[in-house]
Amino acid sequence: MKNKLLQLKDKIFTELTNVKDVQALVDLEIKYLGRKGELTQILRGIANLSDEDKKIIGRLANEIKEELREKIREIKDIILEKGDENRDVDVTLPGEKIKIGHLHPLTQIQNELEDLLHSLGFMVIDGPELESDYYCFEALNIPPHHPARDIQDTFYIDPASLKTENKKIDLVMRTHTSSVQARAMEKYGAPLRVAVPGRVFRSEATDACHDVMFYQLEGLMIDKNISIANLIAVLHQIFSGIFKKNVKVRVRPGYFPFVEPGLEVDMSCTICGEKGCPSCKHSGWLEMAGAGMVHPNVLRAGGIDPEKYSGFAFGIGLSRLVMMKYGIDDIRLFTSGDLRFLEQF
Amino acid sequence: MFLSLNWLKDFVNIPKSLNPQELGRLLTMHTVEIDGIEKQADKFKNIVVGKILEIKKHPNADRLQIAIVDIGKAKLHIVCGAPNINKGQLVPVAKVGAVLPNGLEIKEAEIRGEKSFGMLCAEDELGLGDDHSGIMILNDKAQIGQNLADYLNLNDVIFEVDNKSITHRPDLWSHYGMAREISAFLDVDFKEIKNKEVITEEEKIKITVRVDDFSVCPRYMGLAIGNIKIGPSPQWIQTRLIASGIRPINNVVDLTNYIMLELGQPLHAFDLKRIREDNKVEIFVRKAKEEEIETLDGEERKLDNDILVIANKSNPIAIAGIMGGANSEINDNTTEILLEAANFNFITIRKASKKLGLRTESSMRFEKSLDPNLVESAVKRFVELLKEICPEAKVISKLIDEKKFTLKQGPIDLDLGWLENYIGEKINTKDVKKILEKLGFKILELENQLKVTVPSWRATKDISSKEDLAEEVVRIYGYNNIKPIAPKAEMIVPDIDKTRYLERKIKDILSGIGLTEVYNHSFVGEDHLKKIGIDYSSHIRLLNPISSHQTMLRQRLIPNLINNIRINQARYETIELFEIGSIYLSVSGEINKNNKTKEKLPFQERHLGIIVSSKGDVFRRAKGIVEYLLAKLNLEVSFIKTEVDYIWANKNIVADVKINNVDIGVVGKINNRVKNNFNLKREVAAIEINLRSLLNIIDSRPEKKYKEYEKYPPVIRDLAFVVDKNILYSDLKKAIINFSDIIKKVELFDVYEGERIGENKRSLAFHIIYQADRTLQSSEIDELQKGLVKELESKFEARLRDF
Repeated sequence: MKNKLLQLKDKIFTELTNVKDVQALVDLEIKYLGRKGELTQILRGIANLSDEDKKIIGRLANEIKEELREKIREIKDIILEKGDENRDVDVTLPGEKIKIGHLHPLTQIQNELEDLLHSLGFMVIDGPELESDYYCFEALNIPPHHPARDIQDTFYIDPASLKTENKKIDLVMRTHTSSVQARAMEKYGAPLRVAVPGRVFRSEATDACHDVMFYQLEGLMIDKNISIANLIAVLHQIFSGIFKKNVKVRVRPGYFPFVEPGLEVDMSCTICGEKGCPSCKHSGWLEMAGAGMVHPNVLRAGGIDPEKYSGFAFGIGLSRLVMMKYGIDDIRLFTSGDLRFLEQF
Repeated sequence: MFLSLNWLKDFVNIPKSLNPQELGRLLTMHTVEIDGIEKQADKFKNIVVGKILEIKKHPNADRLQIAIVDIGKAKLHIVCGAPNINKGQLVPVAKVGAVLPNGLEIKEAEIRGEKSFGMLCAEDELGLGDDHSGIMILNDKAQIGQNLADYLNLNDVIFEVDNKSITHRPDLWSHYGMAREISAFLDVDFKEIKNKEVITEEEKIKITVRVDDFSVCPRYMGLAIGNIKIGPSPQWIQTRLIASGIRPINNVVDLTNYIMLELGQPLHAFDLKRIREDNKVEIFVRKAKEEEIETLDGEERKLDNDILVIANKSNPIAIAGIMGGANSEINDNTTEILLEAANFNFITIRKASKKLGLRTESSMRFEKSLDPNLVESAVKRFVELLKEICPEAKVISKLIDEKKFTLKQGPIDLDLGWLENYIGEKINTKDVKKILEKLGFKILELENQLKVTVPSWRATKDISSKEDLAEEVVRIYGYNNIKPIAPKAEMIVPDIDKTRYLERKIKDILSGIGLTEVYNHSFVGEDHLKKIGIDYSSHIRLLNPISSHQTMLRQRLIPNLINNIRINQARYETIELFEIGSIYLSVSGEINKNNKTKEKLPFQERHLGIIVSSKGDVFRRAKGIVEYLLAKLNLEVSFIKTEVDYIWANKNIVADVKINNVDIGVVGKINNRVKNNFNLKREVAAIEINLRSLLNIIDSRPEKKYKEYEKYPPVIRDLAFVVDKNILYSDLKKAIINFSDIIKKVELFDVYEGERIGENKRSLAFHIIYQADRTLQSSEIDELQKGLVKELESKFEARLRDF
C-alpha cells in the first residue's frame, strides 16, 4: 500500500512537470484528486486497513495529497504568469481617470493662515460684509471727512433700495476687515484674540493690481500689558509660519487712524533673500501688512478700558500674499472663474 | 511730494558720510515712506557740452544740417534739424548711449544717408523747460566736454515721499519740517529760521480784512508790497522749484511757491492794482454765493455756498486755499501786490476741493490741518526773501492779522512706567526727553513722569494723547531696536466658528469629488439678471457703482455661476463648479448696526452654489453631488417637488432639497430660455443651499453614538413596481418604508421606462431590507410582502413587475 502510494506520487509529479497549460492541469487534478480520481480511490481504501496501518498509511496519503495540491497551485501560478507575459500589456498606460477638484488659491492660503493663527490661540471669526458706517469707520477712530471715507474708495449702499425706514446713507461694503474689531470687543470683551479673514471692497477702477473686491486677514489681540515688542514678536511668528522658514520682519512708521502708533510691516524678500529683485523693487523687503497698537478710542468704542488693557492689530493683504506666493500678476484672475487659472492650484 | 537734499541741508547738518540711499532708508524707517531717490546728475548721464566747429548742408535733405561738434575727447558728426544753430555755439550734446529724460535712447544712426553720432538737444528734450523752438544755447561759462549736469549745477538729490504716509502730518509737507525730523533721528543740530519782524516802510495802502466765520478761516494775514519788478527768479530759486517738481513762473509767484515748499504754508499774491479802490483794499473771507470765477488755470468755475472764497466788495478774487482768480493774477506789469497768508479749516478745503474736482499743492496742504502760527512765519520769510531777490521792493501797508483760534497743546502727562509697558522695552528717560525735545516738544520732568507740551505744528490734529507721544519716542528710537517679546497670555484652545468650520468641510468634500471652487463678485448687474429673467426690484443697490454690471448686491449665487459656465464651455466639455459666499437681502437682518440703537443691518447669509454642465444627465449628477455631500455630513437628503417658481429652472425639473422635511435649498435644471440667452452649449443644472439652514440642522441633531449592529441577518428582497409616470419616487418610497417596522431600508436600484411596460409607465426597482431582533422566517416576509404589494396597488395602482 505504501509503495503503491509512493509510486503514484512519482507518477503524478512526473506528469505534472510536463503540464503546459491550465486546462491540462485541471484535467490532471481531476484525474488523480477528483471524486473518482486514482488517489482518491486509494484513500477510500484506507478504511479497510488495520488500525495501525490506517494510522501510518492515512498520514502518508494525506501528506501526499497536500504536497500535490501545493505543487499544482505552484505550477498553476507559473503557467498563469507566463501567459500574462504573452499578453501585450503596456504598463505605461495611464490609470483610470479620477477627476480632480480644486480649491481656490485664496481658500488654500486662507486655510493655512487660519490654522496658524488658531495654533497661536486666535479665534477665527467672521463679520458682515455689508457693514454700517459705524463699525467700518466711526468705531475705528475714522472721523467724518477722513479721506478713507471718500466715495472714490468706499461703496455706499443706496438707502432707497432698502426696506427699512432709515433713509440715511450709513451703510457700506466694508473697506477692511478691521470693521470686525469693535464688534469682536463688544461680543467677547477682554482679553481677546481673534482673527478675521474675509472679503473687502473698494470702489476703485480695476486693473491688474486693483479689483473692487479682495481679501484681507485681520488679527487682534487685547490683554493686560500688550506692547509693541509683543506685536513685533507675533508678526515674526506669523510670517515665519506662512513661509515655513525663519524670515526677518522689520517695522516702520505708517498711518492708520485706528492704531497708535501705526506700522507698516515688511518681510525680508523670500525671492531674492534680501539681495534685491524686481518683486521687492530692489529693496530686499516686501510690504506685507499694516499694523499697530489699538487706538485708545477704538478700545473705548468696543467697551474696553484703555487704562486697563492694551492691544495690537494687524491686517494682512491676503490677495496680495497669494499673488506673491504664486507669482500671479493680475488680481482679476481670482474672480475670473476661468478653469485654466483655477486648475493650476 | 519731492524733497531736495540741498534744501534740507539749509536746516540740518547731514553728515557727509551719510549717502542719500542711507538717508532715504532712515527716513523710511523713522518718519515717512520714501518711494524713490534720484540723483539729478543721473538724468544727464552722457550729455555733455559741445562746441559747434562747422555746419554743413545735408546732401539729401533741405531741412537738415550736419554739425561737426567738439566735445573735448572727440569731434562728432551729428545730423540736426534745428534752424538756430551756428558755428561757435556751445550746445548740449547727447552722446551715443545717453537716455534723455523723456526716455529716448541715443543710438548711432543714419539719417537720409548721413551718419549721426549723437544729438543736439532742445530744452524740452532735456526736461528743462517747454522750449522746443531750437537747440538750447549755453552761455560762455560752459566748458567743452563738461557734463551738462555740472554746467547746470544740478548736483542735487531728489527724494520722492509717499504722500499717503504723511496724511496725518501737516508739518511734513515742507523741507523745514522734514529737516526737523532728520535732525531728531540723526541726533544732529536743527537750524531754526529766525525771522525778522515786518516793518511798514510807507503806509500807502489801507487793508481791511473781514472774516465771516473764524471756524473756517482761523487766521488771515494780509500785506501790501510795492515797487516790485516782475521778472524771472534767480537761478537758485528756479533750481529748487524744478527739483521739487514745480515750474518757475516769475519772481513773485515763484517765491510764494518757494515758501510753501520750504515751510509748508501756501501763500497767494494778488495784483494789488486790480483789487484796490484808491488807497484801500477790502478783503472779505466769505461763503460763495451762486457766482462764478475764472481760476488761474483758465477754467470758469461755478461756486456755491459750500465753497469759501476770498472776495473784494464786488467779486470773488480767489477760491480760499485752493486757487487764485484770473481777475487778480500777477502779470509782467504788476508793481504792487497783496500778499495773503491764511489758515483755512481742513474740512472746508477738502469739501470744496472735492466739489470742484480741483486739487492743488495748496489745497493738499490745507487738507492736513495746518498750524495757524505758520502764517506769520511765512509772511516774514516772504518779505525777507523778496528783499533779497528784489531789493527795491517796499512794504506799503500795515501787516493785517485777523485771527481767532486755540490749539490744544497739552501738557500731556507721560507716565514713564506706562511708556515702558506700552513699548515693551525700557528707554532711558534722558533719551525720551531728548527725542521729544528734538521734535519741538517742551518738557517738564517730574518723578517718573513727564509733562509734555505739544508744539503748535503738531497740535492741530496730530498729537493729543500719551499714545501719540509713545509713537514719537519709539519711531525715533527705532522700531527695529526693540527686542521682540512673545506676549504673555493664557493658554487656551480658541472656540471654533461653526459656520466657518462647516464651509471648510464642504469645500474639502466637494473639491474631493472633482468640483472646482470659484470666487465670484458679490455684485450683479441689471443686464445679467434680465437675461435670466430675475426681477431685481428688491435688490440692494450701490449708491456709487463704478460699472454697469456691478450695480446691485447678489441675492443668490446661481446667476454669477451661470456666467462661469459660459466662459469655460468652449474649452471644457464637463464643468463642475461651486462657490460659497454671502448673499444680501433688502430686509432687515439680525446683526446690529451699532451699539446705540436697535437698528439692524440688511439680511445677509452664506450660501453654497453648485453648477454642473455636461452632455450627460446633469440633473441626476447634481442631485448625486448633493446626496454625497450631505451623506458625508451624516445627513439624508430628499428631493421634493417644489412649489416655488424658479425663473431659471425648467418647471418640471426642479426640486426642493430637504432634510427631515426642512427646506435647505433647491436643485434644478437650467431652462432652455436661460440656456439660449447665455448661449450655453450643453445642459446645465444648478444647486443653491442655504448654509445657515444646514448648520441649524447639524447643530440641533443629537451627537453621534455608536450603535451595536444587528445580531440577526437582514433579509433582502428585490421588488420592481410599475406605476404611472406621475407617481413620485419619494411617495412610493415613503409608503414602503412606513409599511412595516421590520422594513429598515429601501434602496432604489433601477428605473426603467419603455414599451415593454407600457406608455406613461415607469418601473422602479427596490432592494427592500427587512431586519428584526430575531431570525426572520421566509414565510413571514412573504406574508408581509403580499400585504405591501396590495397596499401599493391600492395607493398608487402599482403593479408588481415580472421579469
